Amino acid sequence: MAADLVTIVVVSLYFLGMLAIGAWASKKIKNTEDYLVAGRSLGFWVFVLLMIGTVCSGMSLLGVSGLGYKVGWPTIWEQIFVPLSIGFCVIFFGVKLHNVAKTSGYMTVQDYLAHRYESPVALRSLAAVAGIIVSLIYLVGQYTAIAIVLMWLFAIPLWLALVIATLVTMVYTAIGGLYAVAWASLIQSVILIVGVIIMAPIIIFYAGGFTHVNEVMASINPNLVMPWNPSGAFAVPYIFSFAILLMVGLACAPHVINNVLSIKDVKYFKWAPLAAFLIYGAAMFLLKFTGFAGITMVNEGIFALPKVANAQDYVILYGIQYSIPHIAFWGIFAVIVLAAVMSTTDRLMLTIGAMVSWDLYKKVLRPDAPDKNVLLLSKIVVVLSAISTMILAINPPEMLAILIWMGIGVMLSTFAVPLLAGMYWRGATRQGALAAMSLGLVTALIFGFLNYFKVVFAGVNFATIPLHFSFYSFVIAIIAMIVVSIATKKTAEKILDETQTGWYISKD
Amino acid sequence: MFGLPDITLLTVGITIVVVIAALLYWGLIFEGHD
Repeated sequence: MAADLVTIVVVSLYFLGMLAIGAWASKKIKNTEDYLVAGRSLGFWVFVLLMIGTVCSGMSLLGVSGLGYKVGWPTIWEQIFVPLSIGFCVIFFGVKLHNVAKTSGYMTVQDYLAHRYESPVALRSLAAVAGIIVSLIYLVGQYTAIAIVLMWLFAIPLWLALVIATLVTMVYTAIGGLYAVAWASLIQSVILIVGVIIMAPIIIFYAGGFTHVNEVMASINPNLVMPWNPSGAFAVPYIFSFAILLMVGLACAPHVINNVLSIKDVKYFKWAPLAAFLIYGAAMFLLKFTGFAGITMVNEGIFALPKVANAQDYVILYGIQYSIPHIAFWGIFAVIVLAAVMSTTDRLMLTIGAMVSWDLYKKVLRPDAPDKNVLLLSKIVVVLSAISTMILAINPPEMLAILIWMGIGVMLSTFAVPLLAGMYWRGATRQGALAAMSLGLVTALIFGFLNYFKVVFAGVNFATIPLHFSFYSFVIAIIAMIVVSIATKKTAEKILDETQTGWYISKD
Repeated sequence: MFGLPDITLLTVGITIVVVIAALLYWGLIFEGHD
């Protein structure tokens, strides 16, 4: 489709609105703490919607419906465990991190790891480098999603779509830091949730209604309406590893977990998990149903998907185009999709900026660097990360969801074990954390590569392994943590008490 | 119901109820103090 004047105006207004938030937020930035953790001043709803906006990514609109279109009901577990990742993050990481950060002044999760494991250089650097790698993988998936929307909407070439998307997101993030990201996410999440609640039922109704959609799916292939596949991907063992991947992997991702350091009051953690699950869960289920509706619409010849490698990722866009009769609405729905994608992209770029400027530059390379230099470097890195991932996204991956899960899988294998063991096991040591993190990262990258490129090695076909590839590297990280920690010198009791390490969530 | 097999409705429905009950329980017991 090619956009009309109304669509161009609506999308332009949205972009200008985001830039205005960046300009407003830039006036509140006085130091690095303001830039990276919004002065630890976020209220309940800004925090809840920031978490939803951070987790709700390009996959949430394009990938979720695309996967629903391709595999059907066996993928519905994604709609439970992704929203639940916010609760997992708040309950198992957030409470403790927030409490310790009150006295220790953490800016990033790497600050916690450096403190807990008495490793101001080695573990902090490894965690920051690992965080940058996984964030870049994840960011490529996000830019691909933005480009898909802009190409569809304006019928423009991929490179131009990527340049527009990158420039807008980069500018408001670079100038406004987490204040801009949080307030942009508030607006983006409201647009997304309201938009999906209005849009999805129209598409499902246009496809003949929920029951008809399921009946058509069952007639095409009975497995499309079953809760799991009989074997292979989305069989029961795979779904188990998939649940761990989404719930724990997303919860410990640096761009998600750093949000818990930005709230004003720990009491917000009381109802944030339930609020986020109900709001985000409702939107995610509706999105998946639009993918199911797409199966019916394609089957009944209402539309045909484009002949491109990642055709299923276009299903929601075509659903909108053919279900909503008035052209003026398309611009609004395009903004909904852009809001979902940009709310994660901005947070990822800021996280990369924090890891380079705070964790590597200020805490490792130049501890005496003045605050204004750290702040300037954060902004430069936001710009560089946007440009470099834009270049990487020029060749889009075969399937958006696969690339984004790969990023989450690497996050799970790298960060989950050092964080969970660090917070809940007093026996976890620095060497154990270094072993778990480095082995988790390396094995996840290797298994991810072998799985993605369908390699057969030593008689094992990595394309058809029964569990998600990240689960194997996650288990290797657990074993490395336990074995190495038992064999090495224990962490000082003073540090364990300062970091509230032990088998409890909160001492209160 | 809804054109879905019972096993799909039961497994998905029970999981959602258990998750909501667990998060509700957390909300009721957590007393955070700053």
